[in-house]
Formats: sequence, C-alpha cells, structure tokens
Amino acid sequence: MDTKAAAKKMEMRGKGLGSSVTENPVFPGRIELPYTLTTGRAAATFLAELANHKIVGSRCPRCDGIFVPAQDFCAACGTSLDEFVEVPASGKLSGYTETADGLIGLVRLDGATNDFPHKLLDTQLGELKLGARVEASWAAEAEGSILDIEGFALGGDEGGEVKPLEPGAEPVLEQKYEMRLDYAHSYGPYYGMLFDGLATSRRIQGTRCPSCERVLVPPREYCDVCYVRSGEWVDVADTGTIKAFSIIHLEFVGQTREPPYVYAEIVLDGSATRLIHTVAGIDVEDAKERLQIGTKVRAVWKGGDPIGSLEDIEYFEPVFED
Amino acid sequence: MFTGSDNKVAIVAGAQTPFKAAWADRQHVDLIGDVINGALKGTGLRIQDVDFVIDSGSDILDGRSISNCGFLGAMGAHQKEESRVEEDGLWAALYGATKIGSGSAEVGLLLAYSKPSEGSVPAFYWSQCEPFYQRPVGFGQAAAGGLQAQSYLARHSLSDEIFADVVAHDWANAARNPAVDVEAAPSADEIRSSDVVAAPLRELEMARQVDGAVAMVITSERVAERICPDPVWITGIGTAMDQHAFSMRERDSLPACRAAAEAAYKRAGIDDPTTLSLAEVSASSAATELMVIEALGLADPGTAAQVYGGDGPAINPSGGALPADPIMATGLARLHEAALQLTDRVDHGPDGATSAVVHGAGGVGMQNHCVFTLEV
Repeated sequence: MDTKAAAKKMEMRGKGLGSSVTENPVFPGRIELPYTLTTGRAAATFLAELANHKIVGSRCPRCDGIFVPAQDFCAACGTSLDEFVEVPASGKLSGYTETADGLIGLVRLDGATNDFPHKLLDTQLGELKLGARVEASWAAEAEGSILDIEGFALGGDEGGEVKPLEPGAEPVLEQKYEMRLDYAHSYGPYYGMLFDGLATSRRIQGTRCPSCERVLVPPREYCDVCYVRSGEWVDVADTGTIKAFSIIHLEFVGQTREPPYVYAEIVLDGSATRLIHTVAGIDVEDAKERLQIGTKVRAVWKGGDPIGSLEDIEYFEPVFED
Repeated sequence: MFTGSDNKVAIVAGAQTPFKAAWADRQHVDLIGDVINGALKGTGLRIQDVDFVIDSGSDILDGRSISNCGFLGAMGAHQKEESRVEEDGLWAALYGATKIGSGSAEVGLLLAYSKPSEGSVPAFYWSQCEPFYQRPVGFGQAAAGGLQAQSYLARHSLSDEIFADVVAHDWANAARNPAVDVEAAPSADEIRSSDVVAAPLRELEMARQVDGAVAMVITSERVAERICPDPVWITGIGTAMDQHAFSMRERDSLPACRAAAEAAYKRAGIDDPTTLSLAEVSASSAATELMVIEALGLADPGTAAQVYGGDGPAINPSGGALPADPIMATGLARLHEAALQLTDRVDHGPDGATSAVVHGAGGVGMQNHCVFTLEV
C-alpha cells in the first residue's frame, strides 16, 4: 500500500462509529515473505490427483472416519493415517455464508465424515439451502492447488461410493507461497519530531533522560534503563564514532543495499545510543584495513529535498585524523 | 488458589488507553508507555519492584518480527524477566498468575496492546489458516463467523433478528464507558439495516477492531496487603483449545470455552455461575457472544439472548468486545474492566458486585479460550 492509500484507509476508518480521526502522515511498510511449503504425504497426493479429477480422502483405521481433503493425522482421534481413498466429487451443503471473498460453503462429500470449506459457484445466497446437493466444478487446467476444483455448484447425483485410491499422479511435494502484508505505521509524537526535524532542516534530535542524563536517539518517552520520563529535547551532531561494524557480503531478503557494504553502529556526538547505518565513501577493501572501533565518521546527506527519514543520510564517511 | 498451593494472587492495579478505531497519532510504544506507567501509578511500586513482565501482542499485526524486543524499553522490561505470549492478553494473565501462585515471584506486570488499524485484520486471521486447503478458497475469520451464526440459528430455530438486540445492548454499555470511543451507539434498527458482511451476520454484528493497550499489576497476597486497600482475588483459571480444522469443530456451540469455564469454576468452587455478579466476555460476533454466554453456563443452549438485562450476572457492563475489540488485548481488557467494576472505580458496573467471570479468546472462529473467576 502506498502512503496515500494508507492515509485514505485511516480516513475511512475514522468514518466509523467512533470519533473522526485526524489525518496523520503514516510510514508505509510492506513485508513480503517467500515460502516453499512442504505439503506432506497426504496433501501431496490430494493436490496431485486433482489433475485426474479425483478427490482423495484418508481413512482412519481407528475411528473409521473418511477425512477429506486427505490428512496425515486423524483430526478426530490423532491416529496416523496412511490409507488413501477416492471419494465422490459430489455431496451436500452443510453450511454456507457470503463474505467479501464471495460465497463459501461447507461441503460434505458423499461417504465423508467431515466437511471442508470451498467456493460456491454459479449461484446466489437466496438459492442455497442447508442439505442441498452440490458437485465439484473442475478448473480447465490443473496447477496442483485446491483451486483445481474451481468450486462447487448446485447439482450432482447421490449414490457415489468411496473406493480405494489408484494413484496415478506424481505427488505435489512442494508449493510456493508468498505472504504479503501491508502496513501504515503511525510515527507518534517522538519519532514524528525526529523525522520532521530531518525533513525540514536535516536536524537530528534526541531526548535526554533526567536520571542517567544519556541522550537517546531515536527519541523516546521513557528511558529504557531508568524507566523515567525523558523530558528535554536535544540536538545531536551529524558526526560520531563507530562502535561496531561489519562488512556484509551476504545477500538476504529485505536488503536495501547491494553487498558488499559496511554496516555500522555509530554513536552520534552528543548522544549515548548506537544508531545503525552504513559507512561508505571508502573502498570496501580499504575499510577492512582502516576502519576501527573508535573511527570518527560524518553524515553524507542525500541531495534534493529531504523526505524525513534516516535514509536522508546516504551514508556516513570516515574522517581519518592522520 | 491452585491445587497444592495456598498462594493467593491479587490484581492490585491496572490502566488502559481509550479504545478507538485508530490511534493514528501514537506509536505502539507510546500506548505501551502510557499504560505501564499508569498501572504502576499510585501503587507505591517502582519499576525496580517488578519481578517480571508478560506481554501479549502479534508480530503480524505489529508488522515486525519479535516485536516485543523493540517495545521492551516502553514496557519497563529492561534486563528483566520478560516473556511474550502470542495470544490474547488473558493468557499473559494466566502465565503471570501461575508464576505468582507457584511462589516464584511476587510482583508481575501484564501488558496487552494492538494497533489493528495499521495493518490488515483479514490478513492477520488468514495467516492463522491452513495454507493448502483453507487460504486459497477464501476461508477466514469472516467466513467462520457467518458459518457459526448460521449453524447457531439453525440448531435452535431462531431468527437472525435476535442478534441486533445483543449488539445494541453492548454498544449502549460501551457508550456509557469512558474508556471506549463511541460517538453514538447504533439502535437495533440501525444494526438490522447495516450491510450483510458474512451472511447472516451484518457489519454491526461483527466485533469492531480498535487500537489500544492495557496493563495490569498482579501481586502475591503478602504484597497486596501492604500496598492495596481493595485487591481483587483471582479464584480460578481455565483454558482449552479446540481443533484447528474449523470444519471439525462444533459450529453451534463452543465446547472448548465450556471446558475452560468448567476448569475455572472447579478451581474456584463455583457450582452455579449464574450467581456471579458480572461477566465480561470476548466475541468475534453477536452469534459467538451468545455461544460464549452459554458455554460459561450463564444460559441454556439457544437462550443466551434472553439473559441480557435479566436477574443473572450483568453481561458486559463495559460493552464487551463487539464495540471494542483490540485484538490480542481484548481478554486482558475484560479482566481490567471486571477489576474496575468489582472495586467500584467506574460507574458502569452493577451495584454491589462481588464476583465475576472473565473470558478471552483467540484464533479463527474462536478456537482457543481462557476463563478467569474473580472475587473481592
């Protein structure tokens, strides 16, 4: 979600039953998590056989239930399941609802012990009844997903029987999955003050703890160590000292710079806390030799209008005294 | 309190931010700092006196991994024993009370918070669904709520008209509660004419997600006697989780909630929960609120809608979760509210209240349940 959309969302929320929300700037965040999910034996078989228009269930040897879709363990008694069966592609409707994601039904296939949720197709809420007959509607092309059954439509004959599965398809052992989460984070008064200062005058500000007298950057309401309310706002310099650093060669998800680069913890002059940033303006091979804990650095600001972020500092460059 | 232990556990103080649709001008840490500081205020306890902090929140809602690490300073947990519960805050209370009940600590800080306005609530619940069979077909919290409501009505041959009165009752109570931001409580007619969002449930029959934080201080009996003129005693705790597979669960009742309640009542020696003064309960929708009331033994199956305003326990004097559901903090907010009402610190509680049952829940379609009983 971009900032504008996020702000719009806030505005919409404000139109609810509570009092209206003033529009505040938000920090847009996105988390994208790539997964390769391991299906396990049962789901691997179920997902694969959909290509053959077969719906696979598991028979529990202990409670004699037929569970659809196939499961590795019995949801009723916990027994390990290893007998697959083919169940009819039609059954009846045990429940249904309509949400923003469409019509969704709980389907009890003929001979099955349990219901499972799926989309309902070519119908509308008013036409549905509990107990109505439904049948699977197959997607034109199979992709090894539960959506190879597009959904269930009203209809289908009774009388189908559960039979032993004659497996014909290669199991779908893995499934790619990506979770994407969007956020509109609030700055709050303390980060707000810091980022406003960066945006308007390239000013870095912290708060001083009245008890331990440390200046905290980023600024915060409570001193972490003393747990007393910090009060005084203090300007800190855009120069500082390296307290720790590492030359990053690894690539990883979420990385904002191309390796190799120098990642450092820097204590800005006038503050007591370590700020995480990068050190550049020096060849990475030289950095290995010349950077030390205690090396002085200064901020190199990006050109153009600042955006109000620590990214307005492009990097810190070393200031060698010799 | 617990079998084999004579250690009593007291609630001595608490604080919450107002609950509102969005705290757009405050960060999580700002809300957290307010309630932690507020809870300690007036107790005579300093942060140094606190033995442990247990906090409840969600990485998915917060938009950062192990978010408690970043919030540690605001919660006063620097170099303290701190533990995160990725469940509703009533479980934070459960772990904290167990710790004090065992005699291994005397002063605990409990925290629960959330800012669902910053992210996507459907995605939060989606993340808890099974990835191969459930997520791709659009099954989530809304669908679960609709299916539960349909099943409850069908089982008891009831009309969906009953939901609006329950919702109107809760919103009217919330409007009297200064801690919940309500401009105007909707009437039953307005509720009945709001959009259908998870048939048969309407928009106003679903819990409204809000931002906010709540913190509480719990102590041993020894500490409570020294610092608190009116402690609230935890007399029973129970918790139970149902199957993950939604379609394998009962849909017209909440047997895990019943199991949790029975465990709590047994520990507290409560034979008839309808004699309790008040009930503060969580719910995802009007339908599941009715199922919770029944599972707690406050009404027979299918009759919960009739006990609102009756002779039994006052139900959700605070408004409950339908007008204000700060996901992850909802159950701890119920505990805080019950304690406020039992100590006469708010005007909206029932007169002369001496005992309470408190309920929290978690998971898609309320899979997981926690129940506390309290007395003064």
